Amino acid sequence: MGHRGLTRSELLTAGAKRAAAVAIGGAAVGIFADAAAADPLTDNDLAFARLLVGVELLSIDFYLRAMNSGKFQPVGQKYLRNAFTNEVDHNRTVSDILVGAGYTPASATDFEFIYPKKAFASRGSIAALGRELETVGLGAYLGAVSGVQAQALVPPLSRIATSEAQHLSFFAYELGGHPLSSAFPASLTIDQVSAVLDQFTA
Amino acid sequence: MRAVVLAVALLAFGSAVSGAATPARPAPVTVFAAASLTDVFPAIDPRETYSFAGSNTLATQIANGAPADVFASANTTIPNQLYAQGLVEKPVAFTRNTLVIVVPKSNPGSISDIYDLTKPGVTVDIANSSVPVGSYTQTILKNMNLTSRIMANVVSQEDDVRTVLTKIALGQADAGLVYATDARTVPGQVKVIKVPAWAQPKVTYALAVVAKSPNQAAAQAFVREVLSKAGQAKLQAFGFLPLPVGIVADTSLQH
Repeated sequence: MGHRGLTRSELLTAGAKRAAAVAIGGAAVGIFADAAAADPLTDNDLAFARLLVGVELLSIDFYLRAMNSGKFQPVGQKYLRNAFTNEVDHNRTVSDILVGAGYTPASATDFEFIYPKKAFASRGSIAALGRELETVGLGAYLGAVSGVQAQALVPPLSRIATSEAQHLSFFAYELGGHPLSSAFPASLTIDQVSAVLDQFTA
Repeated sequence: MRAVVLAVALLAFGSAVSGAATPARPAPVTVFAAASLTDVFPAIDPRETYSFAGSNTLATQIANGAPADVFASANTTIPNQLYAQGLVEKPVAFTRNTLVIVVPKSNPGSISDIYDLTKPGVTVDIANSSVPVGSYTQTILKNMNLTSRIMANVVSQEDDVRTVLTKIALGQADAGLVYATDARTVPGQVKVIKVPAWAQPKVTYALAVVAKSPNQAAAQAFVREVLSKAGQAKLQAFGFLPLPVGIVADTSLQH
């Protein structure tokens, strides 16, 4: 069953609703800025922040394309929409690390994302790509958790990793597998994540 | 739609610069331009007289009274500094670029990504940090937390991007960092490797009419020509990137 693509207005509305939910549910937004301001960050930690912004911008782009593909049923579409708004929130919060340290984070206009041919041609191909990207996203956050030097960053990074794991479960289920995978998901190094990002950027 | 908006913005800026429709220029102007513009500027207008070098070198020459009519820099910082000193009119951003790694065609250092530049024994050539491409290179290394590890392998630092490119093509180092547009000028002589998009600096070019130019009208006409739809198309044909909609004529962007 097909569906129409999301308009910019709908996306903004979804983002606004999600932002309101975050505000009610515990105000995740801003926690990184506070951490950056309280504890001057090293180049190592800022490099992780830049990498994670890249990961999130790729995820946002992926979910937009997935939602607009018309390949998912309403229930699946709802999952995609929720994951999309999660990624928007994640991007805002990891960008805050850089903002708090006085840097300008990258934005979507700084990237030209590319995908394998037919990546969005079917529900299965989208789910396979989603599983790949969310595996990298989860690994990137787990790598950051163990790699950053500012301990104030560890709790919020861990919370985002948990969210990425939920996204990964959705795609595992979509592909007919079990939504629960490894008891100890793999963390990835910064160069491993960077190599994957390179595959999806022009 | 973006292209239309950009074109309208460019036309609007052109009118603002001239204040009137533009007749043919009376005489060629002398353009001091960043080395990375060596191929594209003559393609945009072959009639002008060009001097290509590192942006900082050209800025020093202009400050010392060199007879330039237009200054085009590979960043916005240097033109803004000259503007603050009253040496050029208000600069305008006109294009963007990215950096890449180049290695000799035989790739003797077995380089496959930027992290390989940290390996012991690999030799790296970069531009010195006083020129924009060298400053951008340092930004990338800092963005990736690789400064100390890659600088330990740097064997030479050059005064402009074309010297880095030439040395790599000749095999005098295992790898170098240059603009993507420069790497395109020596096809078959070097292999190009990406610099990760997440670590790229914002490479924005700006140009300005030199305040003491005796050819103000012709100089402004050249600026309009670069900003015109045809000028922008030529830049993109040479691999330069369009400005995001909304930042045309905005020189507040710093790299």
